[in-house]
Amino acid sequence: MGETVEESRLSPRSAGPGLPGPFAVGRYARKLQEEMRKRARVQLIGEVTGMGRSKVQAYFELRDSEGAIPCAIWLNDLEKAGLSESSLRDGAEVVISGGPDYYPGGGQASPSFSFRATSIRLAGEGDLIARLEALRKQLRAEGLFELQKQLHRPRLPKAIGVVTAETGAARHDLVAGLERRGWGGSVIWGFAPVQDRHAAPAIGRALQDLAARPEVEAIVVTRGGGSLADLWAFCDETLCRTVAMLRVPVVSAVGHERDKTLIDDVAAVACSTPTHAAEAAVPLDCIAARESLERCALALRRAGEGAIGTRSRHLGALARGPARALQRERSTLNQKIREIRAASERGLAERAASQRRIGTVVLERARRRGVERAATALEQERSRSEAIERSAQRSLQRRREALKKAAVALRAHDPERTLERGFALAETAAGEPVTSAEAAAAAAEVKLRFADGHVRARTEGEVERER
Amino acid sequence: MSDSPESYEAAVERLEEIIDRLDSGQAGLRETLDLCREGRELVQYCAAELDEVGEGLKELRLDDLAARLDASGAGAETP
Repeated sequence: MGETVEESRLSPRSAGPGLPGPFAVGRYARKLQEEMRKRARVQLIGEVTGMGRSKVQAYFELRDSEGAIPCAIWLNDLEKAGLSESSLRDGAEVVISGGPDYYPGGGQASPSFSFRATSIRLAGEGDLIARLEALRKQLRAEGLFELQKQLHRPRLPKAIGVVTAETGAARHDLVAGLERRGWGGSVIWGFAPVQDRHAAPAIGRALQDLAARPEVEAIVVTRGGGSLADLWAFCDETLCRTVAMLRVPVVSAVGHERDKTLIDDVAAVACSTPTHAAEAAVPLDCIAARESLERCALALRRAGEGAIGTRSRHLGALARGPARALQRERSTLNQKIREIRAASERGLAERAASQRRIGTVVLERARRRGVERAATALEQERSRSEAIERSAQRSLQRRREALKKAAVALRAHDPERTLERGFALAETAAGEPVTSAEAAAAAAEVKLRFADGHVRARTEGEVERER
Repeated sequence: MSDSPESYEAAVERLEEIIDRLDSGQAGLRETLDLCREGRELVQYCAAELDEVGEGLKELRLDDLAARLDASGAGAETP
């Protein structure tokens, strides 16, 4: 039957007598209910709107920017969830579990389709973050994060638009921030709710209206901190798409620093506080700019006056130039003459002193050489005389020793020594030695000398020869 | 003023260029006098821009402006 439904929807041209049927509608409706109930059970997340109750069940729509589904939950299932009526107000983000259902109606009752929820809970931070991340990925992929950032942001806008809650601290913080910068332009307030299901469309409308005004040069969207559920309006896909397409730069300051909503991604600038948003919307610190401008004006005045004054002084200096140059040359020349004179005098004195030094040195060297030569000669003479002396001594000694030897030798040959041994010497009367028997015989008388004296003796006979 | 600057930013940028050129001491007399004249005009322009946002914050409501626009539109259509 499912195929039949599908075909009749997809192929209207084929409608006609050739199709199956006709079927009885009541039976067809029951079959449709069975098919619906066969579908997989799932969880859905979205905003609750139009919550109402009958005796047995509660019914509402679950919706997001892309579509909605009518839902129903039996009251006893609802009670199990333990949610107060106020927590299921319009705009509350919830997660429901269940599946599609179809009520075929009856003779009197109307048929209806609904998603039969068997459980319901408020969406937690984790659910919202997961949904936010999916949206963020999608918008980034479409390049919507870059459009605002390419817009020119004037440093000194004359008028800015602000979208915020009429009663809120963010409004006062923003004004204080603007005044602190000395900015007194026009602020056009586009007040809008910032925290319920009407918030996102209202903020979107205010932004578009402000951007349509030609004098508005930047728009600030701001609100104070809160849970992600509180700030959920600023993650609305339609609102963020609207912001991305605006021709005026949008400065977002939603929540505190840790809160990062989707509008922060698409805006030209995302700020953590309304005060920072004031600085981003009016980048120029007007107080500092006025002071800077005064300094510029002063610098220009000085430059203008200085340009003429300096040049006139320069011209005057040029006019006095030739005489001054002559005087300068003359002074230079005189100085040179003095230097030359001093240099020559100094040269002569130095040369004389040098000659003196040379003379002294040479004479001293000659004297020293003479003294050294004399000392050497004296020393040589002394050595020589000592050598002679030593030689004479040696010679004398040698002679003494020779004499002593000679005396000994002489004494050995002395006849007196022989006489002492008992021999006698025959001598003539004249004292001449008689050395032969012949001579003794001839002499007839001889003197016999002994060691202790002599005696006279006569020789007789002839010589008797020894045999 | 010969040519009005495009914006406050453009005026300030040109003014800074002029001051830098004058501070460099490289501009001749004619150029210096021209730069001083241009600079004075830019200072006047910037001062006027600052004066426009110097008289205290003016707060307007988008609803009022829209209502005024509607009223004037309706008035124009009424013969």
